[in-house]
Parts: sequence; C-alpha cells; structure tokens
Amino acid sequence: MAFVDRAYSGLSNNIHGGFEVPDWLSAEHSTGTSIMAVEYNGGVVIGADSRSTTGSYISNRFTDKLTQITEHIYCCRSGSSADTQAIANIVRYHLDFHSIELGEPPLVEAAANIFRELCYNYRDSLMAGIIVAGWDKRRGGQVYCVPLGGMCVRQPLAIGGSGSTYVYGYVDAHFKKDMSKKECLEFVTNTLALAMSRDGSSGGVVRLADLTEKGIERFTVLGDQLPRFYEG
Amino acid sequence: MSIMSYNGGAIVAMKGKNCVAIAADKRFGIQAQTLALDFQKIFEMGPHLFIGLPGLATDTQTVHQRLKFRLNLYELKENRHINPKTFAAMVSNLLYERRFGPYFIEPIIAGLDPKTFEPYVCNMDLIGCPNEPEDFVVGGTCTEQLYGMCETLWEPDLEPDDLFETISQALISAVDRDAISGWGAVVHIIEKDKITTKSLKTRMD
Repeated sequence: MAFVDRAYSGLSNNIHGGFEVPDWLSAEHSTGTSIMAVEYNGGVVIGADSRSTTGSYISNRFTDKLTQITEHIYCCRSGSSADTQAIANIVRYHLDFHSIELGEPPLVEAAANIFRELCYNYRDSLMAGIIVAGWDKRRGGQVYCVPLGGMCVRQPLAIGGSGSTYVYGYVDAHFKKDMSKKECLEFVTNTLALAMSRDGSSGGVVRLADLTEKGIERFTVLGDQLPRFYEG
Repeated sequence: MSIMSYNGGAIVAMKGKNCVAIAADKRFGIQAQTLALDFQKIFEMGPHLFIGLPGLATDTQTVHQRLKFRLNLYELKENRHINPKTFAAMVSNLLYERRFGPYFIEPIIAGLDPKTFEPYVCNMDLIGCPNEPEDFVVGGTCTEQLYGMCETLWEPDLEPDDLFETISQALISAVDRDAISGWGAVVHIIEKDKITTKSLKTRMD
C-alpha cells in the first residue's frame, strides 16, 4: 500500500531497519487516566480506571494505578507510567527510612511532601500527576493533590488524569462533606464510570480502595457491573 | 498526531459461503474525547453492496456523498445496479483524482455480484490502490489487532450465522485493545435473498 507522507500514515518517524514502524512501538507508555480520592470521616476512598496506552494501543487493560507507599498511605498515578512508577519507588524508600527514624508510621503530609520535592525539582523531565491519600493518627483521612508542576495542596476531594476534565461538573454537584464509606464508594464509582465513558484514554475496570485506621480494603468493579448513564 | 487517527474507528469485512459480512464500530470522537455513539461508517450503495469508510470523519461523510452522486449517475445511465468490482474501480478513481491532496479514508467494500452472487471484498489505501483478497479485509486505527483476530478466527466457507459470530468476535476483541475505537458496533450480513443488520453489545469505554 502506498504512503503519501508519513504524517498521513499513523506510523511514527521511527525507522527500524529500513521499515517504518507503527506509532505504538515507539510512543511513550502512559496512563492517560481517570483517578480520584475522597476524604470522609474515618478515612479516604481512592479510585482509578485500569487502562494504560502506548499511543492509541491499549497496552494493559487491567493496570493497577493505586500504588502502596506504606501500609496506610497510597497514591493514584497518572501521566507517564515509567515516571510515576519510579517516583513511587523512590518515595516508598524515603518514607520507609523516615518511619524507622521516627519510630512510628509516617504522616500522609510527609509522603505528599516527598512526592512534591521530586515532582517540583525534576518538573522539566517528568510527566506525573499524582494524588496522595491515606490515614494517619494525627489528622485522620487526608487527600493531597500533586499535579504536573509539583504543587502540593490538601483537598477534601481530588480528581486527576485526562478523564477528570469530563467530571468536574459532576463532582462539584454531587460531593458532600462527611459522607459514609458506602456513599463514598458509590460516588467514586459513578464519577469514574462517567469519565471512562467519555475519555478514550480511560477504561477497563474501576479499582477502589478504602484506607482507614485498620489498613486497606480493595474492591474491583468489573466492566459489566459499572453504572451506565445516558449514552447517546 | 496522525490525521488517520484523529477520529479513530474500526471496520472489518469477511467472505463466507455465498455471503459476506461487514462490521464497524460506532464511535465518533475527537482524539481522546468521545462525542457520539451513533456515527455511521458503513453505507449501503446497492441491494448487495456496502462500503465502509474508516479514517477522518469529515471525509467519511464527504466521500460517501460524492460517491453516491457518481453511483446515481451510473445507475441512471446504465439502468442497472453496479457490480462490486466496477464499484471498487469507481472508488479507486475518485480517490486517485486527489492523488496529491487525498481524502483521509481507506475504504472497505463488501458485496455480492448481482448476477452470480459470488462474495467480494476489497480494501484500498487512501489514494485508491485496491487489494482484493480471498478472505477478509480490515481498516481503521486498530488494523494490527484486527489482522491478528481475523487471521486466527476466520476459516473459509462459513455459513451466515457462523460468519456473524466470527466477525463480531474479531471486531470486539480488536477494538477492546484500541483506545479510540469502540463504543458500540454494527454488523451487516449480506446474503442472496436478505440483509441482516445487528447492533452488538460492546464495552462502552
């Protein structure tokens, strides 16, 4: 088949042994994503979709974007898969060391600030939008948003990733402070389902986690169990 | 950003025993955002002739309109329905006329010969080079995935019901690995005496 110009063809500018290669062989692996975290009385609920893409190819349709940092602190990863995995590993190491020095489980604020140090100081080299969420003894459930430039701000509710743009209105309309655990889980599931329905880079299953004093409780909502809204 | 993957989409057509099937997804989107779930990409051009137009959505609609115009004139002059092979030549000519500023479409044609009812499938590149294989043709943004599924699932001389299952599974599994295709699907099975159109229940993500 003819290719008039490489711009038309869906092939990248990558020539491998004389042949043009498809875009997804060289495109950066990213979690174009929908992630979310909500504080409630007693803990936090975090959620994410499960799609990783390389270009438009879905390289992993069952990804786990809810990554453990400590027993009571998790992060939701969006942006470049490689960058966010590397950052999470480094933060996990620092926090582990810190908790040994401290002699007790570290604060969520500490974890968020270590993420921020890395994301801010290496901001030109990284593409990482992270939501840090967890429970500690001092302040209970907390959510900290660490977006692309390396800001760190605590919020009762945070959404992130490419799919979040479609649900700002929905969360503004439906969020209430001090929901119950069950209400939070339903709220996060509905929000992510809406985002996954509109965003091509989000999809798969909804992974949920409830973080409290007792530790983590994980849930997975499979594709056929997801709530469906107006589809027209 | 490639022009051919601006809107996304997937189309596949297969030959069976005295029948052909053509299937497409129904998404209309702009890059990652999905805007509609009812976008038509397969058009009926004759009683046993369908064309699928994957690629840039604006060209899908324009090429369909311009092709319909030419086909109408052909039918008025010849006073008969067009042959699939002749129709393919007409499409090829329309695309090559725009050799140095092409339509961003890689059409797929599926039909039965009006006299012998022999199955015919054809696909072309965006400047009209035709390819007429004996088994199946694919188009859109997940052609690699579709080739893999079709090569595995297709076998010769499938009856219409089996062909429906085969083409449906091939399309669904392929678009589930493509971020910009899916959100619903439609299948047409073309036999000598009837055309069956079915909507598939698919993932909506």
